[in-house]
Amino acid sequence: MLTKVLVANRGEIAVRIMRACQEMGIKTVAVYSEVDKEAPHVQIADESIDLGDPTPIASYLNIPKIIESAQKIGADAIHPGYGFLAENPDFAKSCEDVGIKFIGPKPKIISLMGDKIAAKKTMNKAGIPVIPGYSGEKQDIPSLAKEGKKIGFPLLVKAAAGGGGKGMRIVHSEDILEESIEGSKRESKSAFGDDTVFLEKYLEKPRHIEFQILGDEHGNIIHLFERECSIQRRHQKIIEESPSPVMNEKLRKKMGEAAVKAAEAVGYNNAGTVEFMVDGDLNFYFMEMNTRLQVEHPVTELTTGIDLAKWQLKIAGGKELSIKQNELAQRGHAIECRIYAEDPSNGFLPSIGTLKKVEPPRGPNVRDDSGIYTGMKITPYYDPMLSKLIVNAENRDECIDKIIWALSRYVILGVTTNIPFLIKVLDHNEFRKGNITTHFIDNYFKDWISSKKSLPVEAIIALSVYDSMHSRTEEIVRYKESDPHSPWKHVGRWRMGAEV
Amino acid sequence: MFINYEHENHVYNVTVERREKYFFITYDNSEYRVEAEEIKPGHLKIKLGDRILKSVITEGEKEKYVFVEGDVFYVKNVELTGTKKTKKKEEESLNSPISGKVVKVEVKIGEKVKKGDVLMVIEAMKMEYLIRAPNNGKITKINFNENDQIEIGQTTVEMKKS
Repeated sequence: MLTKVLVANRGEIAVRIMRACQEMGIKTVAVYSEVDKEAPHVQIADESIDLGDPTPIASYLNIPKIIESAQKIGADAIHPGYGFLAENPDFAKSCEDVGIKFIGPKPKIISLMGDKIAAKKTMNKAGIPVIPGYSGEKQDIPSLAKEGKKIGFPLLVKAAAGGGGKGMRIVHSEDILEESIEGSKRESKSAFGDDTVFLEKYLEKPRHIEFQILGDEHGNIIHLFERECSIQRRHQKIIEESPSPVMNEKLRKKMGEAAVKAAEAVGYNNAGTVEFMVDGDLNFYFMEMNTRLQVEHPVTELTTGIDLAKWQLKIAGGKELSIKQNELAQRGHAIECRIYAEDPSNGFLPSIGTLKKVEPPRGPNVRDDSGIYTGMKITPYYDPMLSKLIVNAENRDECIDKIIWALSRYVILGVTTNIPFLIKVLDHNEFRKGNITTHFIDNYFKDWISSKKSLPVEAIIALSVYDSMHSRTEEIVRYKESDPHSPWKHVGRWRMGAEV
Repeated sequence: MFINYEHENHVYNVTVERREKYFFITYDNSEYRVEAEEIKPGHLKIKLGDRILKSVITEGEKEKYVFVEGDVFYVKNVELTGTKKTKKKEEESLNSPISGKVVKVEVKIGEKVKKGDVLMVIEAMKMEYLIRAPNNGKITKINFNENDQIEIGQTTVEMKKS
């Protein structure tokens, strides 16, 4: 069993993990950069270590400093959260080397799954369907073009080292194939220092559906069903839900088995996610495996009743998985929204400032995983995610109504947030019908700007009432009323609470 | 009392009078009679006909934030002195919106650009931000090279409007 865990992260995920530790009686250590001195994750931790400079590379990405801190404070394990060092095999290896347990899969699994081409090859060999494509050694333009023609159009050209859509090209016809490959190579060279690209069939009406898996260190692996994550903006998920509106029992069983097989193929341990693309005809293809706890893990927790963060800690402590696949069931529906400090009407630019007021909604089955508080400064150093709002309800329709209700009562004043945008997406007819693909935002919200550009009368009423209540120099106007002999008429100007 | 609220370069003139339990608000040739109470600091419950409005207001140094029915507005109380004109700062869009790394410089000195052309790409925390030309013109100076660190508010490139 673990006794003291250092969480090498910040924000909501650090808070989430520390709470799980505390429930289990494990001591917690926070690390922080100087701008995060008063951050929630530092406040709730038992102990904390200052990493100094806020630049990620000097603090939250500083492997030697974090390892040294863990040793000095006597932590027996490190939880990397997501992002930062979560999928860095060197970090996992460095922990292992000094006898600190890395809470996540073995370093060699992280590095294998981090190489997208190698990951696909491994899965293909294990009999998991992968998107038809070419990920071979021959990287000269004529060879790639030849392979591209074999796969057919539309075709996707992707950077092997890539992510976030960089170096990506969709090719609809043969005449622009070579030119697109060259462009993709150039872009990935400058972005990643590596111009290796791979080609794959471009799917029509693609959905992003992923399966949560848990594996212990005794060879047991289970899956915890799917999460639908098709609602993405520039390849970043913004709304996730479980179950997927397109899923049926037969497909769920098939995909779940494939996810477990994928995990078994690499001897997976701890929590992970197998991401699939599903096309319009419900064919599914392995896309990649994420070797960490995902941002969207709460929707799985709320529909299965399984605490994934706690299981990560139990597994790292050597405990055997006591849940069996046939004991698991999905119940009701859960939706998560990622609330960002960004301005949807202004190109989603991050909004920086001080949070003047933060009041999350409260109610039955409303969960707010956040790392913010009133008075906190939002700095440009880190991801602009403020909070994750997750709700669950009996079914999808009620779940949508509930999360819209909760979002419209989430008070965050001081920075601009994407809340009005999220509400519009959730309330879209096609979203309600479950007709979603990874192109949803591009199709329906490409140049979206808030319709509330002018101040609505409700806001004007609220403001003027507020100012009237708080005005210290307000003239008493009662004398205007009917009684001409009212003494008020002769009082003149006066103020409440004035010094005598 | 007379109040002028400024929001998105637009000024709203409002009159509010308090008579007994009512507030009378006149705006845009309409009068609204509401009852209101502050249930806790900054939280208002307003009765407007048969509607109940709930609003949260907080004050910054000069500005006020008002939360009403899921939307947030940022306003300033302004004194009206003559005709108030708010000028739009065109230059601002050439400043970096965020601290990050310059990943691409798309233009050269002397190059002619059209409004909306991408001039520079800046990356911060996994996201890319595009600096676009605010108008047609010619690039006169490029202040950053690829891979340079850029801070929020720094001017990316300078251009002459044509």
